[in-house]
Formats: sequence, structure tokens, C-alpha cells
Amino acid sequence: MAKLKVIAACGSGMGSSQIIKMKLEKAFKKLGIDAEIYHTNVGDAKSQANNFDVVFCSASLVGTFTGVKATVIGLKNLLSEKEMAEKIQSEIIDKK
Amino acid sequence: MFKEFVEKKRYSFHEGFDDWRDAVRAACQPLIDEGVADPIYPKEIIKKVEELGPYIVIAPNICIPHAQEGLGVYDTAMCFMKTEKPVHFDPNDPEKDAQIFVVLASVDNNVHLENLSQLSEALSDEELVAKLLKAKTPEDLLKLEA
Repeated sequence: MAKLKVIAACGSGMGSSQIIKMKLEKAFKKLGIDAEIYHTNVGDAKSQANNFDVVFCSASLVGTFTGVKATVIGLKNLLSEKEMAEKIQSEIIDKK
Repeated sequence: MFKEFVEKKRYSFHEGFDDWRDAVRAACQPLIDEGVADPIYPKEIIKKVEELGPYIVIAPNICIPHAQEGLGVYDTAMCFMKTEKPVHFDPNDPEKDAQIFVVLASVDNNVHLENLSQLSEALSDEELVAKLLKAKTPEDLLKLEA
């Protein structure tokens, strides 16, 4: 698989999105997937979404990304590597 | 980290709040009293949540109120608050209830990232979260390892 381009988004781009990024780095590493992960706020993420394969954000922000081509994955628990690993499996790996 | 909250008086304990906005304001109050944050800061946090939804509730029971870097804040800091009763952010979604609040303020991204990394490690530990949910006093925070 080519290097996956991932963006993590939250309301401000400084709190939740950075936590998602930290947790995703671990989750992708464990799954053996080479991913490049950025983080930013939702407005910026939406305008840049077409340059990325996957967008991760809090489940309450998924609606903001209506119409983008990238796969948008909403997370209920941003601290759960388990939820991330399951969603990476079902939304990314299984759909390749 | 929890020791630092107590030493720097960056904590508060409350019974509960009927309105999540009051909870966000109360969580920020020690930072405002200390001069680390401006009263604009909780207003900005509330505005973003009203606009985008309760994205600051990052996991069941856990809320990290924050707004943009450098906006209404003068230092990089974290501030702890615990409520006895859950604060409701979405009346239709109990998964968006919170009792543990950690306000994030940042003017220095490197220090902030170090803080965040410690915080997410600590709050990913379910046993520690269970202890935090029982904490009622600063002494209870000092007993925690992290």
C-alpha cells in the first residue's frame, strides 16, 4: 500500500486533533501501515481534504465534511486506540 | 501532572452545573484568576462548541475545553476540574456527559505538545480515570501517580 495521507481535525486544531494524531500514529504503527498524519482545524481540513486519503475527527464533527472525496472517519472516543484500530480495519483496510 | 495541578492551584471541584457553559467558565476560572487566561477564553470555547457541537468531550466522562492557540491566553498550561454530577453537553447523547475537565491553554506549541502527550497517556488509563472520578479533594489528586 502506498503511504496513506491522513489528516486529523478538531474545532480549533490545537487540542483534540493533536490527541487524535498521537493516538493514530501508534494505531497505524501497530497495524504496520505507513501513514503520514497531519492535524488542523475543521475549516482548514475541509478545504484541504481532497489532498488526503482519510480524515479523522470527533464523531460530532463528521457532518462538517459532507461532500468531500476523502474517507471521513468519526471517532466516539478519541483516547481509544481500540476504536481507531477497528475503524482503520473496517473503513480503510477492508475497502482497499 | 496532577501534583502540578495542585501545586499551581490549577484545579477546582464542584457539585455540578445545569448548563455546560457554566461548567466551561468554572473550569477556566483558576487560569483567569492566575492571569494565565482572559475571560475571553471561555467565551471563545463556548462559541466554538455552539457552532460545531461538543467536540471537546473527547471520551466518555472526559472534556478538554480549549480554543485557538494564543487567543485570550498568556501562558501554556492545563487546569483540572471535577464535578460530582455529570455535565450534559447533548441532552440526547449520554456519551457526551463529562465529569473530568482539563482546560488547555497554549502559547508555546512544544510545551503544549508535551502536556497533551502526558494528558492523553494518563486519561487513556482506565484505572486512573476511575480514581479521578472518585476524587473529591486536592489531596485525592496528590495520591495519583501520574
